[in-house]
Amino acid sequence: MARITAGIASSHIPLLGVAADQGKAGEEYFKPIFAGYDWTREWIAQPENKPDAVVLVYNDHASAFDMKVIPTFAIGCAERFGICDEGWGPRPVPDVEGHPDLAWHIAQSLILDEFDMTMINEMEVDHGLTVPLTMMFGAPEAWPVKVIPLAVNVVTYPPPSGNRCWALGEAIARAVDSFGEDLNVQIWGTGGMSHQLQGPRAGLINAEWDNRFLDMMTGDSDEARWIPHIEYLRETGSEGIEMVMWLIMRGALGKKTKCLHRHYHVPCSNTAIGHLVLEPD
Amino acid sequence: MIHHKDIHEYLADFEDIPGTRVYTAARARKGYHLNQFAMSLMKPENRERWKADERAYLDEWPMSEEQKQAVLDRDYNRLLDLGGNIYFMAKVFSTDGLSFVQAVSTMTGMSVEDYQAMMNAGGRSPEGQRSIKGAY
Repeated sequence: MARITAGIASSHIPLLGVAADQGKAGEEYFKPIFAGYDWTREWIAQPENKPDAVVLVYNDHASAFDMKVIPTFAIGCAERFGICDEGWGPRPVPDVEGHPDLAWHIAQSLILDEFDMTMINEMEVDHGLTVPLTMMFGAPEAWPVKVIPLAVNVVTYPPPSGNRCWALGEAIARAVDSFGEDLNVQIWGTGGMSHQLQGPRAGLINAEWDNRFLDMMTGDSDEARWIPHIEYLRETGSEGIEMVMWLIMRGALGKKTKCLHRHYHVPCSNTAIGHLVLEPD
Repeated sequence: MIHHKDIHEYLADFEDIPGTRVYTAARARKGYHLNQFAMSLMKPENRERWKADERAYLDEWPMSEEQKQAVLDRDYNRLLDLGGNIYFMAKVFSTDGLSFVQAVSTMTGMSVEDYQAMMNAGGRSPEGQRSIKGAY
């Protein structure tokens, strides 16, 4: 039986991809950011922790999806996903290998469970998906895990509610549990934390709110699933809404979680970096 | 279960956030061709044509004159008002070779250096920036 063994939350700031690709991770500005991932890189390399597959929850930043089609929840079912050119050429990282058997199993199960997913058979992935892989695995020849991209619309309003995201996570956990093969599966929730990339209020950071949100991810609280969109926008900046994606990860970990690792740093580019490693407890 | 908020109420709240244009359906509809134009710059061959003659490239798109002028002016606040979304507009400033920090700072009335210094000092405080009506 497949099972979800851990959840990872991480910001997916494009500048981190640039820093890693250009060998700048050791520079003074980036050092404290990357250092916060050292624990995780070591932990995830242990055979007992290394996942066979990751359900990677992220948002596409006008890369694979333009304004023609706006799926609220989309699951990548392809054999592999190319790296997209976001305007300055594709990142020099390996293609992402999918897990079509598990992805289709999850997609079918979710639809029967009343989550009306969009299935994607051809897609390129952007920094939202590749930066977290870089932060956790560095720069390998090939990514050491299979990845099921789960793209969430957090660009065009309204995005899904926090409650809906949490419930989707619960349904993903049920779907993984009913997969026949014995697999170690992790779920990653990416994006955030506080940041605003637009308008005169750009640059907003709310470390106090972010840290309360990090607190809420641990233990048996489900308070975070009830946070309304307007609170993310007011308190954490317009792009802070990405944190609803962390709730899919949190929902998939069940009633109670244990925090194995926590990292928070301001700034990275325009953004507050947050990172957690959680286990179901 | 969560109570279902009325969509009008939900959208009205967004207008109460200082210095912020939330990318609502109304903005998305207004900016459709503007955003699709920006999206086209993901292809290297289109970037070449765009760089060679910006005005001619823009004229291939059914955008308003205001939108075209705001693109030529790289007036990002104006572009957001005209329905642009920042992730789409990012294709324009990436093609210009600007980072997010460099482009985003132009919307704040601060120099890049001052903006960067604010970020390094912990970012813009949310105090007084949460609500226009509530002034908190």
